[in-house]
Amino acid sequence: MWRTNLKVLLLAVAVVGFYTMVAHVIPQLESEVPESLTLGGDVTPEALVAAGERVYNGAGGCTACHGLGTRAPNMLTDHAGEGTIGARCGAREAGKDCKAYLWESLTQPGAFVVAGFENIMPDMRRQLPEDQVWAVIAFLQSQGGEVTVTGADLASATPASSATAPAPAVSATTDPRQLLQENACLGCHAIDGAGPPIGPSFDGVGQRLTADGIRRSILEPDAEVAKGFEQFAGTMPKTFGQQLSGQQLEAIVQFLAARK
Amino acid sequence: MTTELLSLVQAVADTTGAYGRFPGIGARAAVWIAAQVHLMFAAFVLGVPMFAVITELIGIVGKDPKYDKLSKEFTRLLVFAYSATALWGAVLVFFLTTLYPRFWSHMARIFGLSMWIYVGLFFVESFTLYLYYYGWDRWKAGRAKWVHWGLGLLLNGWGTAVMFIANGWLTYMMSPPSGVTAETLPESVGTWNAIANATWMPINIHRLIANAVFGGSIVAAYGAYRFLAAKTDEERAHYDWMGYVGNFIAISTFIVLPFAGYWLGREIYEYNQQMGITMMGGFMSWLWIVQAVLIGVLFLAANYYLWLGMGRIPGAERFVPYTKWMLLLLVVCWIIWATPHTMIASREELAAMGGSHHPFLNVLGVMSAKNTAVNLMILTTFLSFLMYRRANKRPTVAWARSGTIVQGVMFALSAAVVLLYGVYGYFVEAIVRIGFSVYQVAAVLTCILGVTVIDVALGRGAESRGAIRWGQMPERSQYALFVLAVTFTWLMGLMGFARSGIRQHWHVWEVLRDTSVDAATPALGFAANIISVCVLIFLGLVAFIFWLGGLAERATAGAPAGRH
Repeated sequence: MWRTNLKVLLLAVAVVGFYTMVAHVIPQLESEVPESLTLGGDVTPEALVAAGERVYNGAGGCTACHGLGTRAPNMLTDHAGEGTIGARCGAREAGKDCKAYLWESLTQPGAFVVAGFENIMPDMRRQLPEDQVWAVIAFLQSQGGEVTVTGADLASATPASSATAPAPAVSATTDPRQLLQENACLGCHAIDGAGPPIGPSFDGVGQRLTADGIRRSILEPDAEVAKGFEQFAGTMPKTFGQQLSGQQLEAIVQFLAARK
Repeated sequence: MTTELLSLVQAVADTTGAYGRFPGIGARAAVWIAAQVHLMFAAFVLGVPMFAVITELIGIVGKDPKYDKLSKEFTRLLVFAYSATALWGAVLVFFLTTLYPRFWSHMARIFGLSMWIYVGLFFVESFTLYLYYYGWDRWKAGRAKWVHWGLGLLLNGWGTAVMFIANGWLTYMMSPPSGVTAETLPESVGTWNAIANATWMPINIHRLIANAVFGGSIVAAYGAYRFLAAKTDEERAHYDWMGYVGNFIAISTFIVLPFAGYWLGREIYEYNQQMGITMMGGFMSWLWIVQAVLIGVLFLAANYYLWLGMGRIPGAERFVPYTKWMLLLLVVCWIIWATPHTMIASREELAAMGGSHHPFLNVLGVMSAKNTAVNLMILTTFLSFLMYRRANKRPTVAWARSGTIVQGVMFALSAAVVLLYGVYGYFVEAIVRIGFSVYQVAAVLTCILGVTVIDVALGRGAESRGAIRWGQMPERSQYALFVLAVTFTWLMGLMGFARSGIRQHWHVWEVLRDTSVDAATPALGFAANIISVCVLIFLGLVAFIFWLGGLAERATAGAPAGRH
C-alpha cells in the first residue's frame, strides 16, 4: 500500500510543480501601487515629466488601453496623422488649450471621446491623487509639445485657470444642437441618421420617450437602460445635472422630445 | 506647508494600527493561505451534499441500495470536512482581525448583522448534517426515508444561504455600490445595498456550479484511492463505479461553468471597464494562458479516463478508431487556446516580428480563435461521453438509424456554427465579435441538449451488448482522476487570485485603499507559489480525512451486532 501512497503523492507533487513552473516561465507582471510624489511648488518640468512617465507606465495603468492603440488612441505615436499627444492635444477641442484638454480627458473623459473609440475611461482622480494626474499631463505634453504644467497646478486642489476648471458649463448657449455638440453627446448618439451606435439614436427619440423620460435619462442615465444597449450601461457621464443650466437642460429635452 | 504637514499627519494616523505583522511569510500570505484553504474546504462541503441528495434520491426512486450506500459514503466524508472548514474559517477571522484591523472594522460596520446571521446558519447547517448522517440507518425505509432525504435537501439550502452571505462580503470588495466612496460612512451604506452589488449573483451562480465540479472531482479521487487500495473484486468494482459517478458529475457540470464565467466577466466589464480590462488585457492577461494550460489538462485527462473506461464495456471496440482523431483535435484546440496574443519583446525582437504582434500569434491568440477552440473541445468531450453511454447498447426502436443520423447532423451543424462565427469574427468590429460568442455557446448547448434527449429516447428498451465490467480498469485510469482533482484544486486557487487580484491596491475597490507594505498585487510566479502551498495543505488534509473515513468504516464493520 505504501507504494500506492507514494505514487499518488509523487503524482500530486508533479502536477502542482508543473503548474507552478508554467506560472513562472510566463512574463512576471506586477500591479504597482501609486507612489506618493514629493513634488513641491518649485518642481522643475523635467521632474514632473519623469514622475508622470513612471505613473503612466506603472500605477496609472494607462498602457493597458493606450499602449496598443486598439482600445484607445496610442499617446506616444501618431494618431490619424495628427502627431503624438503633445502635438495634437491643443487642437482637439475648440477653446481648450493642451493643458485644459488633457485635464478634461483625465478627469471627465466622457466629455470628449475621440471618434472611433468608446467612452470607457474612468475619472483618474478615483485612482490617482491630483498631483499625479498633473504629472501625467506634464508627461503627455512632453510627447511632442511644450510642458506648461507648473508647481502652481500641483499646489491647488483645482486647476490653475478657469479654462481647466472641472465640469465647467460648456457655454451659455441654449441652442440644443450646439449643446449636443459641446457636451459630446454626439460622440455616442446618432442624429439625422449619422453617428456612432454607442447610445440610442436621437432620431425618433420623442416617440420612444416622453419629455420626462428624456430628462431623467440625461440626469440619471443608469436609471433605465435602453434595450439593446445594456453592454454600454454605466458609460454615460452622470454629470450633466451640474454641467448644464436649467434652461440648457430644458432646451435639449424639448428639442429631443420633438424628434418623433 | 501647514497643509502638507497636516496631510502627512493624517496619512500616518490612517495607517497606524491599520495592519499587523506576521512572522516569516508576512500578513498577506498568511491571510491568503487561510482564506484559500478555507474556501477549498467550503467548496467541498457545499458541493458534496448536492449529489449526496441526488444519489440518495436515485436510490430511493430506483430502489437500488448501491446508490444509497454511495450517498452515505459521501456524507461520512462531509462530517470530517465540516470541522476542517470551521477551523480554517476561524483561523481566517483571527488573522483578519489581528493583521487587517482597519479593513475588518470597515467590513464589520457594514456587514455586522449578516455576520451574526451567517454564524447562526452555520450552527443550523452543522446540526442538520449530523442529523442527516447519524439518522441514516434509523430513517431508512418508508416515509421516514423521505424525511431523511428532506434533511439532505435542507442541508443544501442552509449551505447555499451561508455561501450567498459570504459572497456578499467578497463581492462588495470588488464592486461596491455606485455612490459609495472613500468618504462614505460605512454605517450609511446599508447591508442589503452592499450585499446585492453588481457581481454578487454572477459569483453565486458561478460558485454553485464550481462547487459541484470540485466536490465531484474530490469524490472521484476518493473512489480512485479506494480502488487502488481495494482487496477484493467487489470492493474494486464499487470504487470504480464511485470514481466514474464523481467524475461524471464533475465533468458534466464543468462543461456549463464557462457560461457562468462569461456572465461574471460581462458584469465586471459593465461595472467598471477598467477593472475588466485589467483582468483580461492588463497585468493579468497572462493568467488566462495559465488557465488555458490547466483546462486543457482537464479536458485531456477527462477524455483519457472515458476512453480507458470503454475498455470495460462490451461493444465499445467499434468506437476505438475514432479516439486518435479526437485526441488530435483536442491537442490542436488546446494549443490554440493557450496561444498568447501579445509578447513582451525587445526592440530587436519587435523588428524581427514586424510589429508588436507576432503574425502567427496575432491570428491564433485572439478571442475568435480561442472561443472556437474551447467550444470544439466541449463538443469533443461530449462526444466521448456519448460514445461511452452508447457503447454497450443496441437500440431497438424503429427509428434508431434515423435518430443516430439526426444526432450526427446536430453535431456537424453545431461545429459548423462554431467555426463559421469563429472565422467571421476576424472581419467585424470587436463589439460585434463579442456577441458571436453567444451564438457559438448557444449552438453547443443546443447540440448537447438535443442529442441527449434523442439518446435517452433511443436507449429505451435497447438491447445490451454485455454488462459493464466494473472494476476491470487499468490502474492508470485512476491516476487520471487524481490529475483531475489536483488540477481542479489548483484552478480554484488561480481563479481566486484573479478575482481578488483585479482589485489591485484596494481592499474595497476605490473605497478603501490598501496602504500596507503588501499593497502591490504580486506577479503570477509568486501567486503560483502560494496557490501550490494551499493546494498541498488542502490535499494533505483531505488525504487525512480519507484515511479517517477508512478507519471509521473498519470500526463500523468490526462492531458487534446489536442495537446501534
